[in-house]
Amino acid sequence: MVPNYTFHRRKILIMFVTCLAGFGILMGRLGYLMLFQSAHYTALAQELHERERSIKAARGRIYDANGTIIADNKTVCTISVIHNQITDAEEVIGVLSEKLEVSADTVREKVEKYSSREIIKSNVDKSVGDAVRACDLDGVKVDEDYKRYYPFGSLASKVLGFTGGDNQGIIGLEVMYEDYLKGENGTILTQTDARGVEIDTAAENRIEPVDGCSLYLSLDVNIQKYAEQAALKVMEQKNAKKVSMIIMNPQNGEIMAMVNVPEFDLNDPFTLNYQMDTSVTDEEYQDLLNKMWRNSCINDTYEPGSTFKIITAAAGLEERVVSLTDNFYCPGYKIVEDRRIHCHKVAGHGAENFLQGAMNSCNPVFIEVGLRLGVTNTYKYFNQFGLLGRTGIDLPGEAGTIMHKQDNMGEVELATVSFGQSFQITPMQLITTASSIINGGTRITPHFGVEVQNSEETVIEKLSYDTTEHIVSEETSETMRYILEQVVAEGTGHKAYLEGYRIGGKTATSEKLPRSENKYISSFIGFAPADNPQVIALITIDEPEGIYYGGTIAAPVVADVFDNILPYLGIEREAVTEEETAEN
Amino acid sequence: MQMGNKNDELRKKRNKPQRYYDYGLLAVIIFLCCFGLIMVYSSSSYAAQIKTGDSLFYLKKQGFALILGIICMFLVSKIDYHKFAKLAVLAYILAIVLMILVNFTPLGIEYNGKKRWFGFGSTSLFQAAEAVKVALILSLASLVNKFSKKIDMWKVQLLIFAIQAPLIYLVLDNNLSSGIILFGIVFLVLFVASRKKARFIIAVAAVAAAAVFITVFSDKIIELHILKEYQLERILVWKNPTAYALEGGHQVLQGLYAIGSGGLFGKGLGESMQKLGFVPEAQNDMIFSIICEELGLFGAICVILLFLFMIWRFVVIANNAPDLFGAMLVVGIMSHIALQVILNIAVVTNTIPNTGITLPFISYGGTSVVFLMMEMGAALSVSNSIKYER
Repeated sequence: MVPNYTFHRRKILIMFVTCLAGFGILMGRLGYLMLFQSAHYTALAQELHERERSIKAARGRIYDANGTIIADNKTVCTISVIHNQITDAEEVIGVLSEKLEVSADTVREKVEKYSSREIIKSNVDKSVGDAVRACDLDGVKVDEDYKRYYPFGSLASKVLGFTGGDNQGIIGLEVMYEDYLKGENGTILTQTDARGVEIDTAAENRIEPVDGCSLYLSLDVNIQKYAEQAALKVMEQKNAKKVSMIIMNPQNGEIMAMVNVPEFDLNDPFTLNYQMDTSVTDEEYQDLLNKMWRNSCINDTYEPGSTFKIITAAAGLEERVVSLTDNFYCPGYKIVEDRRIHCHKVAGHGAENFLQGAMNSCNPVFIEVGLRLGVTNTYKYFNQFGLLGRTGIDLPGEAGTIMHKQDNMGEVELATVSFGQSFQITPMQLITTASSIINGGTRITPHFGVEVQNSEETVIEKLSYDTTEHIVSEETSETMRYILEQVVAEGTGHKAYLEGYRIGGKTATSEKLPRSENKYISSFIGFAPADNPQVIALITIDEPEGIYYGGTIAAPVVADVFDNILPYLGIEREAVTEEETAEN
Repeated sequence: MQMGNKNDELRKKRNKPQRYYDYGLLAVIIFLCCFGLIMVYSSSSYAAQIKTGDSLFYLKKQGFALILGIICMFLVSKIDYHKFAKLAVLAYILAIVLMILVNFTPLGIEYNGKKRWFGFGSTSLFQAAEAVKVALILSLASLVNKFSKKIDMWKVQLLIFAIQAPLIYLVLDNNLSSGIILFGIVFLVLFVASRKKARFIIAVAAVAAAAVFITVFSDKIIELHILKEYQLERILVWKNPTAYALEGGHQVLQGLYAIGSGGLFGKGLGESMQKLGFVPEAQNDMIFSIICEELGLFGAICVILLFLFMIWRFVVIANNAPDLFGAMLVVGIMSHIALQVILNIAVVTNTIPNTGITLPFISYGGTSVVFLMMEMGAALSVSNSIKYER
């Protein structure tokens, strides 16, 4: 037997000490990893384990002036299957194909596909979703989601706009007030294993969604409906391309109705609102959709024609280059430099004063006023009236005014501008400027949005809009109201006359470019009561067939609308006495 | 006379050498085994549930192997270790035969492209390398004992290496890490057995220098086409596991995530996220990372200290062993445990490049636990023959 020597013991101790050193190093390494690197690796690991599922926030509702919901949310369901949670595949296939009206083969393919989640059908009505849920099938998930829903269908379609797949606004107010309406999506953070399967026992980290704010509009569904019917009626009668109408409170710029017929169905915005004969490419189809969605009150400009004489008159009166009693003579044309510019009445209006010229809508009278003003003053007033910029309406894509550059404006241009030709503005700009002239001289910002409330119905913001006072004097404003009332009472706008109401207005018939095509835009701008305007309306009829005079076809529509909405707005009919009639 | 008799008896009783039994070692073995079972269950239950439908699948197998191992341990510990010496040659020959059978005949069963298992047809019985470790330790102790007088001679030391070389080579072929451990055991046992130090220190220094050289100049070596990239893959992965996440860094990286997210006190037993399929086969080589994640730095250091205590018990037993054979047997066992623990933790913490080494007593593996318990039985047997006087 060989004994165990002392040097063996020493060697064993050396080995132990070496082990100790090795363990020491490893403990140091562990300490480094688990204390100093801990945050780093914990974050990386967490990123690996956590899955984020978002909870959609309900989009804010849109209400009209009466508190009627005009844009709402509908709960819809998305039905999906999770392959490895399915216990009875045949039953799942049977139930889903029957309830969702999807072919059994399609369902089978998705049920048998090895994936974490397969969507069978989305945008399913809630009742159907509830029915599927009631079947309590293993591996079938019913997730609720919100979808925008417009209870009035096509009403004010181009104003309200609609939302896309992610519930984001695409056009109209839905885009403009996106930040208020969209809310904040919540999230559920879940822990998953390496296959991505959620772990039931792990605590969910949930961030609740914040629902979007509600938007209250000045738009009134009843007025909008009535205006839409009237517009549709005239469009059909005159076989016009389209008819637009804006009805606004001239005192504060609150828009009560904005019609652009033909409207489209907001609940089905990606389908054209007319039958198409030819097949088109996707790109062309998208162009057609874009065209259908255009709001011509603000997105398109036109030559306003005679309605613009309101502005020329206001500028002339304000600059005192003309007064009501100034005398003019109309031979049926006016020669400016080398051009002979015709009046719409070829025979001429003969001798007339300024008031009569306005009532006759006589071009030479307004050319004369324009020339008296001169380019510099004309431009000064255009600027002062806010005519050259945009109105600042709370709708996206507003077009600007297309006007001659001041430097390029000669006498001929000045003359044509004076009666509303050779430049373009939007109907919105025209009605806004006219409002500002007749309301006592305060330039207002037209708008729909009145206030914003959060989901607890607390007002969080009263929307305010810029105003500019004294763009014309009160005196000029009053004179203008008088002139325009006379236009309706006895002038070209007499077809807008309503018994018992004092209505002011101006007609226009503008020839579209190119002039040779003989296509017209007939329009009428009217307001009531003439002494204290509470409502102003502008109708434009695009390419009417047959008689196309604004005074003949546009003015009666406004009269018809006023006849109905003035009592609705609480503006009482004045008792008509024999005396007054005689006086008129 | 009566008095004398009585005194005699008393003296006899007092001087009768007490048989020693290392209960400390026994306690730490049992503790580590039970802890191992808990950790195997914790780290495998989720994957087992998904794979086999039985969350206890791995625990049951490991538990069965452990019971078998404990029985082996007690049986072996009751046998006088000198009897093992007689089995040394037989064990060596059996080991060689076993390795030849596994490597070159259908009795070797292939898993993941490595022929490591011995078995018949579809039933695999045990991992050959684990058995070879026991045979090597036994034959080595026997050889050292036989050549004790000339053990310092180069010739003798090389001879002992030469005798063990075929065994190591046969293992190395399919199981690099076990080969390294076998080599390490031979090296350490010879170091303890011999009076010489310099040659061992030089050998260690040379290996360390080579390792440092290859590590530092790995990019250059690839550039100069001395070695191909795949040959240095483990080193490249080790240097930057994130960049090689797909080529083999995945396991190490996931292990690091687990270790790092443990923090000081861990997430609590059973709360590991990384065991949910992120760390592949968490109950095997990487189980220490799950211990770190669940029990934190505190738990991890406790485990290391337990191993350190176990090694200390081996030191005590080896130092007090009645003869050189007993001492060398325990030194062999101690080398085995120390090497495997250090290498395993070093791999898991990405301190050294990855090689598949299990953590003794804790990692899942039936063969490993049974043969380890046999080794423990042998160590206890040596401790049992220590005589001391009161």
